[in-house]
Amino acid sequence: MKPNLINADFSPLRGRIEPGSTIIAVGGGKGGVGKSFISSSIAIFLSQLGYDVTAIDLDLGGANLHTSLGLPLSNKGINEFILDPQAELSSLIQTTHWPKLSLLSGSSEAMDVANIDEIQRSRIMSAIYRHKTDFTVLDLSAGTHHATLDFFLMAKHKVVVFTPEPSSIENAYRFLKASFFRKLRRYEHQLQLKTQIDELLSNRDTHGIKNPSDLIRVLVDREPVLGMKLKNIMADLGYKIVLNQARTRQEVDMGYALQSVCNKYFGFPCEFLGGLEYDNAVWQSLRQKHHLLMANRQSHLYAQLMGIARKIAKPQSQNKAA
Amino acid sequence: MSERYDGQTYYELLEVSPVAGPTDIYNAYQRARATYSPNSPAIYSMFTPEEALQLMSLVEEAYQTLSHQARRKEYDVKIGLAKAPPPKPTAQEPARARSQDQWIGPVKTSAGKQESLPTGFSRTKFSVYEVKPDIETEIEQAQEIDGPFIQKIRLYKGVTLDQMSEEIRVIKSTLVALEANDLEALPVAVFTRGFVVQMARLLGLNERKISDAYMKYFRSKRS
Repeated sequence: MKPNLINADFSPLRGRIEPGSTIIAVGGGKGGVGKSFISSSIAIFLSQLGYDVTAIDLDLGGANLHTSLGLPLSNKGINEFILDPQAELSSLIQTTHWPKLSLLSGSSEAMDVANIDEIQRSRIMSAIYRHKTDFTVLDLSAGTHHATLDFFLMAKHKVVVFTPEPSSIENAYRFLKASFFRKLRRYEHQLQLKTQIDELLSNRDTHGIKNPSDLIRVLVDREPVLGMKLKNIMADLGYKIVLNQARTRQEVDMGYALQSVCNKYFGFPCEFLGGLEYDNAVWQSLRQKHHLLMANRQSHLYAQLMGIARKIAKPQSQNKAA
Repeated sequence: MSERYDGQTYYELLEVSPVAGPTDIYNAYQRARATYSPNSPAIYSMFTPEEALQLMSLVEEAYQTLSHQARRKEYDVKIGLAKAPPPKPTAQEPARARSQDQWIGPVKTSAGKQESLPTGFSRTKFSVYEVKPDIETEIEQAQEIDGPFIQKIRLYKGVTLDQMSEEIRVIKSTLVALEANDLEALPVAVFTRGFVVQMARLLGLNERKISDAYMKYFRSKRS
């Protein structure tokens, strides 16, 4: 163990605690599909809807959420949290142009923070989990690294970004599969289904298992009680799909196709949150380092992003009312 | 063939609610067809072409059942969504069997509940009106009818132009022109006849007789 971790406080990791906010994670296998743009937009729109929002850049090796939000480099951020075991998350959060939106930046001059160990990872996750606000938006890195998957799985709303091109679709699906099996691996021990699942997976053909949905179905046939328990736990994944950079109406409709494929492949309901039109204004505004939504409220994109934010916010307001 | 894919019902397969109407089911079917066609980008790396083909045939099967009223009812009973209907009185059986066996189509003007009305009243899709024997005989005996007469019937039965325009999908200005005998504003005979047929059907009249009588007038004035 690194010496500076000895004094770290791990007590909140024990036991079951309620999350301090509704966590939204934005992931997707491929780089450049617009994860940072979408997470910053969701954060901004939720704050515009009147919620307190914290955006956290968890793309530790290539942080750029601050750029999407039109903010300069900062010397306070998630990296300072990693380097200083005494640090409190709330003291590292900075304000933004939007009154109810704050940012925990990932920008830093430190070079090796991208490679954090498991202990650091759980410390970050615990701090995010306890952080008190209405919504926490996590901007994740590309790829299927374990840290990325764990951050993704801790969220209530697991948003995955697709674009209509095949390489992005393939990578996003791989990311979803990886997160499915990461979660499965976590719970199979707990439910004592590991031997069963290993046996099923090594003899897929004899059992006719082609996808996770088949796996769970066969498992439920064999172990009705534990299998159903696992099925319910996995159904909690309920991936939320965003289709970015659609150039035509048909491409926007592809979101429903992706949703249907995910439903059938994973065997639990996923939701298509909405499609976003390809818009040159996005990269133009990124070049000028301010967010598109500062200037342009008449665009299609504005309406589409607002639609997505409302869908995410809706269950929250219902919870509050209840 | 009745084996369910992955334990899914036809509704789950098409991803529609068990109470979805014909239009929803049709749209879902079209969407599923696009999604699981062999070169759909959405299935890439998730389903092999063979699996997609198998899914597609299941989707077809689901649609064949759910788009057909009688088969859908039967299926609902089979999967426990609906209770089996009680045995019907034999006298009504032939009529009912026929009406259930029809494909669900868009035109269903006299659909809906059939609560009994007080005697002396009757109904259209949009209204309940008091039956006036003198107007009924006038309609019965009319040999040649024109726009204002159709309007008179419409008003007597209490259907508004908006309702009519919405229901038979003819713009309001055309209906106004027709009722005002503004023949120049009307389309060619074959279309005008079609409008009159639909108006008559909506008003619960003998569509054949009414349209023939109107066309007699139409042709005599616009030759």
